[in-house]
Amino acid sequence: MKVFRPLLLMLLFVLVAPTATYAHVGSKDVFETVSAGPYKLYVTVRMPTVIPGVAAIEVRSSGAPVSRIHITPLPITGEASKHPPTSDPMTRSTSDPAFFTGSLWMMASGSWQVRFEISGDAGEQTASVPVPAVALSTLKMQRGLGITLGILGLFLVISMAGIIGAAVREARLEPGATPPPSRKRRAVLATVGGLVLMGIIVWLGGVWWNAEAAGYATDVYRPLKVTPTLSGNVLTLDVQALHTDIERRSRSNNDFLPDHGHLMHLYAIRQPGMDAVFHLHPSLAGPGKFRISLPEMPAGDYTLYGDVVHASGFPETLVSSITVPANMPAAPAGPDDAAANPPSLSAGQLGDRYKLPDGYVMVWDRPSPLTANTAYSFRFHLLDANGKPATDMQPYMGMAGHAAFVKTDGTVFAHTHPEGSAAMAALMLANDSHEGMNHSGMNMDMPMGMEMSEHSEPISNTVEFPYGFPSAGRYRIFVQMKHGVMIETGAFDASVE
Amino acid sequence: MSTSPLSMNRSGAIEVTRAAEETAAVPWYIWFGALAVTSASIGGAWDVAWHRSIGRDTFWTPAHLAIQACGMMAAIICGYLILVDTFGRSEKLKAASVNVLGFRAPLGAFIAAWGGIAMITSAPFDNWWHAAYGLDVKIISPPHTLLILGIRCVAVGILFLILAAMNRASTDQTLSGERTFKTLQRLFLYVGGLIVSGQMFFLIEKTWDVELHSVAAYVWMGVALPVAFAVLSQASRYKWAATSTAAVYMVFAIGEILIMPLVPAQPKLGPVFNPVTHLIPAKFPILIIVPALALDILWQRTRAWKPWKIALASGFLFVAVLTIVEWPFANFLLSKASENRFFGTMYFDYNSRPDGYDRLRQFFHPDHGITLYWGLLRAAIYASISTWIGLSFGRWMRSVQR
Repeated sequence: MKVFRPLLLMLLFVLVAPTATYAHVGSKDVFETVSAGPYKLYVTVRMPTVIPGVAAIEVRSSGAPVSRIHITPLPITGEASKHPPTSDPMTRSTSDPAFFTGSLWMMASGSWQVRFEISGDAGEQTASVPVPAVALSTLKMQRGLGITLGILGLFLVISMAGIIGAAVREARLEPGATPPPSRKRRAVLATVGGLVLMGIIVWLGGVWWNAEAAGYATDVYRPLKVTPTLSGNVLTLDVQALHTDIERRSRSNNDFLPDHGHLMHLYAIRQPGMDAVFHLHPSLAGPGKFRISLPEMPAGDYTLYGDVVHASGFPETLVSSITVPANMPAAPAGPDDAAANPPSLSAGQLGDRYKLPDGYVMVWDRPSPLTANTAYSFRFHLLDANGKPATDMQPYMGMAGHAAFVKTDGTVFAHTHPEGSAAMAALMLANDSHEGMNHSGMNMDMPMGMEMSEHSEPISNTVEFPYGFPSAGRYRIFVQMKHGVMIETGAFDASVE
Repeated sequence: MSTSPLSMNRSGAIEVTRAAEETAAVPWYIWFGALAVTSASIGGAWDVAWHRSIGRDTFWTPAHLAIQACGMMAAIICGYLILVDTFGRSEKLKAASVNVLGFRAPLGAFIAAWGGIAMITSAPFDNWWHAAYGLDVKIISPPHTLLILGIRCVAVGILFLILAAMNRASTDQTLSGERTFKTLQRLFLYVGGLIVSGQMFFLIEKTWDVELHSVAAYVWMGVALPVAFAVLSQASRYKWAATSTAAVYMVFAIGEILIMPLVPAQPKLGPVFNPVTHLIPAKFPILIIVPALALDILWQRTRAWKPWKIALASGFLFVAVLTIVEWPFANFLLSKASENRFFGTMYFDYNSRPDGYDRLRQFFHPDHGITLYWGLLRAAIYASISTWIGLSFGRWMRSVQR
């Protein structure tokens, strides 16, 4: 057995060799509320980490009773968006008739949508949820599987050497004849030769495997590179396009869509305490070049999260960092810009009531317990200085509120809306062709890119954000709501199990 | 037709004993083995068509089942032979077996069993591969290679079972022995033809019609085909072995074009760039029957040559004839004239992009000038080495008795 140990080791090494893993900012899963005619759905799309891969889809219906839902995946834009494949029925839970589950193969990277065909007594409706499909990581082989495959592989190597030996020793003998000693000697040599040959084949296979794995690693999604420069208080963000051999895998730095009126939503969060947060809106100064004159900001190191949406509906969060010097000159804040200075992370957990500078209070109906990968509707209320529901509510960039869920270790950043975590511009592209489709709190008739300041319905002082934390750990949540001309930013801490 | 020693004994009408009939008759497991290889070949072609028309589907598609059925049948054959030869009482069966790791069975049974285990190993490996890397569905990946190697070994194992029976029958000088020899020889050529089809199946991605003006296609065929033709020609003792096995491939592939489009199918996955309504067959087969014919003729006339000389001549002849025939034929395949039910060049995958080379009917990165000539020279050298290996191994196979 000793003879085979190096082979076994080599096999095991080849079979369980770890491959590089890349971290990603943001959450891969999509949480979305969909209103299609009388139907109201809370949709969770759990995206695969590899492409092609299977997306798991869950739907909870809360509006008119739904009897059937069919799902189909298709790109948001381009030729293939015109040819939906045959749809798959979702499975209805036997214990809970309002809960449906299903799965879809996402076969290519890019900007996709899951189209829902909803049937019930109230008729048929169609709605789409945009889902960005990207490869996020490579998978390590589980130990058990590695050992099983290693043993099977070793058996294949040894038995093939045995077959080669037998072929040389006996295969050409007349039936019944016994092999002469010379053949036996040659058979031993052939067996050893067979082992060497199989070893070489396994080794070549390993080289090939590593090459394939390295090739795959280059397909793993990374956001576009952005270089920030701060000159005085003028921040310039240079976004580099991604050019690859395959055009459809390339990403432009000059095809961004306005998302509720802005080409970029930039969150600047002071590190390490997360005790200063700014929601800013740089404007385009040239192809791939965003610029903004920063408002008054306390000095320190900031992480910048810039949300953009490509023409295909593909959203990206571009991450960079800057250091703001003391006594930086300040420009007046833009009309949609917001800021807050919550206590530092080191000061302990923030509670469920956040006192705002003008005496108003933001309150979180904190669910308990908070667990990772669970879909929630996080509800927040704005109360006036007397503790009464705020009455002078205004839409903030076209909607009842904006929220950012940020993990304190910097591995998660998700900017979400009352409709959900999908980018608004992508949502509009995906649902462009559907009549009667309406997302709560959003006017779908509005031409894309228009400032959504005029809202027909009165805005409530309560806002809900569908979202699920992608992993356990500590998060800080920033919530923005507007009353009068004041944009309030509340901060809350969450410990997720 | 046959070059076997039997042809000389045809007139020797000898008394046919019952025992002789029993030893020479084609055993059930050989028929069963040929069926297993057929099942895997049909399953493989069907599965590719399934992926190109419907997309990824459950494990339980009929195409997958046909491939798995090959493994099942191989397991039954090998299990039976190993059990009977190792633990049975029949001395005659034991006598015609070899010993591997303490078990006894004909060599072919062990090779086929090895292929079956390789097929089984590839299943969890492939599953993990897709989970780990996703990747576009492609044929040439390490786990697929292991699966195809497994299927190929089942086929080669069956080939060895036929061959050992054939070689033993060649010494049987009775009329029934001669008939058995011929039946076995035909089966050998049929399974050999499926192996040639298998080689071409493995090269589908390299020999796509829009890639037939690239050197790579000819290099790959130069490596993969002469070895198979030389082995089959030497081992089968049939002077038109290369031509007839190439014919099996051509008939199989053309049959696919004629039959597949009759089966309705719709894509279940996106992106759909081409709304497909029926199963999409493979591309029109490469005209390998012409260089195969050239090889058969060459080998009939060069028996007295030294093996390395035959190999060198074969390699250059093969690549030259293949290029002369296929290069202009590729022009035809990319023309409107071939867009019909027979040549089937108007069938495209559901995810075939309208601006892709395939849909535009344009050659993908065609080679010219010095790249082309050096490339073809390289292909010819590889083909010579491939032939030499095939001739040597084929000659060795000719004397396999067990």
